Amino acid sequence: MKLAKTLPLAAFALALAAALFAVLPPRPARGFDVDAFGQLPVLEGGRVKPADSVARNSLLMIRGQQGFRFEGRPVSADEWLLDVLFRPQVADRQPVFVINDPDVLGLMGLRQTQDRYFSFLTLIPHLEEIQRQATAAQPVDPKQRTRFQSAVVNLFDRAYLYYRLENTAQLARSRGLAAELSARDTLGAASRQEALAELAFFRPLPPGPGDRADGWRGVGEALRSPPAADGAGLRALAGISSAWAAQDPVAFDRAVAELGAADRAARPDAVSRASSEVLFNRAEPFYLGMVIYVLALLVLFASWAWRPELLQPTAFALLLAGAVVHTGGLVSRVILQGRPPVTNLYSSAVFVGWGAVILGIVLERIYRKGFGTAVAAAAGFASLIVAHHLTGDGDTMEMMRAVLDSNFWLATHVVTITIGYSGTFLAGAIAIAYTLRRHLAPRLDPVTTRTLVSMTYGVICFALFFSFVGTVLGGIWADQSWGRFWGWDPKENGALMIVLWNAIILHARWGGYVREKGIMAMAIFGNVITSLSWFGVNMLGVGLHSYGFMDEAFWALAAFDGSQLLLMALCLAPRRFWRPAGGGAAEGGGHAAKPV
Amino acid sequence: MRPRPASRVWDALTSLKLTIVCLSLLMVLVIACTLAQTTMGTLGAVNAYIRSFLVWWDVPGTAWRVPVAPGGGLVGLVLTVNLIAAQARRLELSWRKAGLWIVHAGLILLFAGEFVTSLFQKDMQLSIEQGQTLNYVESPRDVELALVDVTDPAHDEVYAVPESLLARKQGIPIPGTPVELRVKAFYPNAELANRGPGDPPPLANMGVGAMVSVRPMPPEASDEAVNRRAAFVEPVAGGRSYGTWLVSNALGAPQSFLHEGHTYTLSMRPTRRYLPYAITLEKFSHDVYPGTDIPKNFSSLVHLSNPSRGEERDVLIYMNQPLRYDGKAFYQASFGKGDTLSVLQVVENPGWLLPYVSCVLVGLGLIVHFALVLRRSLRRRQAGQLVETA
Repeated sequence: MKLAKTLPLAAFALALAAALFAVLPPRPARGFDVDAFGQLPVLEGGRVKPADSVARNSLLMIRGQQGFRFEGRPVSADEWLLDVLFRPQVADRQPVFVINDPDVLGLMGLRQTQDRYFSFLTLIPHLEEIQRQATAAQPVDPKQRTRFQSAVVNLFDRAYLYYRLENTAQLARSRGLAAELSARDTLGAASRQEALAELAFFRPLPPGPGDRADGWRGVGEALRSPPAADGAGLRALAGISSAWAAQDPVAFDRAVAELGAADRAARPDAVSRASSEVLFNRAEPFYLGMVIYVLALLVLFASWAWRPELLQPTAFALLLAGAVVHTGGLVSRVILQGRPPVTNLYSSAVFVGWGAVILGIVLERIYRKGFGTAVAAAAGFASLIVAHHLTGDGDTMEMMRAVLDSNFWLATHVVTITIGYSGTFLAGAIAIAYTLRRHLAPRLDPVTTRTLVSMTYGVICFALFFSFVGTVLGGIWADQSWGRFWGWDPKENGALMIVLWNAIILHARWGGYVREKGIMAMAIFGNVITSLSWFGVNMLGVGLHSYGFMDEAFWALAAFDGSQLLLMALCLAPRRFWRPAGGGAAEGGGHAAKPV
Repeated sequence: MRPRPASRVWDALTSLKLTIVCLSLLMVLVIACTLAQTTMGTLGAVNAYIRSFLVWWDVPGTAWRVPVAPGGGLVGLVLTVNLIAAQARRLELSWRKAGLWIVHAGLILLFAGEFVTSLFQKDMQLSIEQGQTLNYVESPRDVELALVDVTDPAHDEVYAVPESLLARKQGIPIPGTPVELRVKAFYPNAELANRGPGDPPPLANMGVGAMVSVRPMPPEASDEAVNRRAAFVEPVAGGRSYGTWLVSNALGAPQSFLHEGHTYTLSMRPTRRYLPYAITLEKFSHDVYPGTDIPKNFSSLVHLSNPSRGEERDVLIYMNQPLRYDGKAFYQASFGKGDTLSVLQVVENPGWLLPYVSCVLVGLGLIVHFALVLRRSLRRRQAGQLVETA
């Protein structure tokens, strides 16, 4: 009996230990303290962030991954950024551009092969043609573009991002920042400085003593101002440039430390925030959470076949560990961004999953049947997968547009409505579990069935409350900022649909028009409504809420909704309808729909 | 014994089935309205599906319109009646149900608010440049034909003809002046272009209209696109015609003619509504995040001057912070002309407070209800424990 206590504890501790292990600083790459470079704060996209975030997000946009292998060894995002900035001749040979579209490959005279990654060097001869095609496609509305047009615009954007990165600290293929620094008054220097100021992707130099807090400077601007105003930052950056170009680890570490000291002297808060963000980047809490949730799910599946008294608590312990990691990630984001948890589509997915997991944990504590664990782990995993696929646009902590710049409303309306999504999805997930159990379980015990039905009912009430309050709060925000409480905008309609659907379920149940199976099928349809309201309305591309716009996920959404409709049919079909005879006789708990 | 018809109607009106049917219909309408927005624009779709009593369908190839479904107005009305009737009949007046009473009263108020909004809300705009003082707001969509007597340099006499009157294409005497405007043609939307050699002869023989060709167009579907209204009018005064003029909101400067020492200008402009006070834009600010073009903040510093109330004060209008004054609310909506022009949305809605009250009621009701339910279940649990120990 001892094992039943120690195993869950051990699983919980192991999962958390894995999370802590991920936070440990990496070993220096080839003797260079690349990590210290990654912690240097820079200004990009209106936000001060560590160079590491710029590196990871840029590589994610260009290659779809945060690291890669080159010449037989792994290259981290930070190392790649250093190469792009200071050794472009090396970076240009690294295969970082992922190209999947056969027509775009054909445009460059390339054949589609196993290897989908290409270097900038391969792209260079075709850049003019790519730009021509992209310029032709750009005026076309993103929703109307053909696959080729979207792909070529996308490739051009990535190539341009790469080109801007190369020309951020010094002009690519120039003699380096140190040489530029000593030749700043010579013939042609002014135009080079102008080009640098124009192209730079981020601003690496801290604001001077009298400047505004967000007055970070690019290299081009710094070179144009008188040498007296340089500060230690510019010289240190030149040192990093020379040291990396010469591959001199000692000089590199010294120069990075100098720039770090200059940053710390100017903006100590930015430095500490940047290093926290590097920790967050390194931990990848949402990725880790996803893995732990899958483990919890697997252990729970195993528990239905073998020693449930041992494995079910273990699965629950893993779920708890996943929730701790997930919560940690969420809280870190809130602290780093200084914003409530939901600020864009990506963070809404993270938060919906979190809400579902917490609700599931509560349900598991109340009912202790393992179903709470199952649906919570499944919902957490699924939503983190969705979030993972929403990161393609780069920085997930981008600055808020003026109309959204209100922590009060973000904290109330957006969070409440997102909890409403969580609740509706969780009710749908329980209903799916009910459906699968009804057809797959060898025998149905009516008590468990009743438990599942009352769980679903409770969660729907919860979801109705939050989606109604969230919707009305949204109306009040709209009244404050756009001058009308309700404008029948697609996103508002989507929220209203969730409210209406949950209200319909509850009234139908109170009236006795639907019973167990009916409620469950309706709860599954809630998944369809919520997914449409969450993502579907963004695809229409109309209305005031279109800052959440996305166009590629259409087929994923269609597949999801199709699967839900199938599950609904399955839910309504007689138990084990595929068995020729007698299989449906064991219908259990069919009379269990009395109000709870 | 057969129930009397009246009691059957009462049964139907109070039935939960009707509630569900109405909620389902509302959901279908909301979905249809959302999908229709891609082709009809938000306003068009809302008017067709939500703010109507019936949804009409134009039979293709004929001039027939057939009602195919109840509109949002009808469903909302039935739902409201159903809600009130069911409250009266089913929910007993007891403390146990106090929460549900408050919730449903809040819901009724919410519906009422939407009805008031659809009937009475007026959306106007105030496009104002830095340093400019205006005492009127303009409609973002409707236009009027303005005949202005500008003879006196100190003040203008303005006579405005609404679009609906122009559409009748009759003679319109302008009261207070000797002028009658004869409308020869009116187009709800038209494309104006410089006349080419192949174009038919123009209807207008005076002003810029003589050099412009007018091609009628179907009305715009999108809410953002403004219809370019065009009309040909002939001012007649004292038995004398002053020629036929083209007027359109797509044309720039007003055109003028002289009659018995009075100079009149003609122009088609957004419908104006004059205010008993004046607003001056002192400064418009527009910040972006450094190194990006993501807007960080818009704000308009305006001066409000209302001599009748002796009010002279500055107001800062910015995102999520409107100015509410004299039944109207002024919101920061847009900007232009290199950040020197500010566009304020001006909304007049007598029912604007209803959703707030309703929100408080529903929230309060749910809390009361949940508190009562919780107390009941705690008592039950306590009773259960007593039985166990006994």
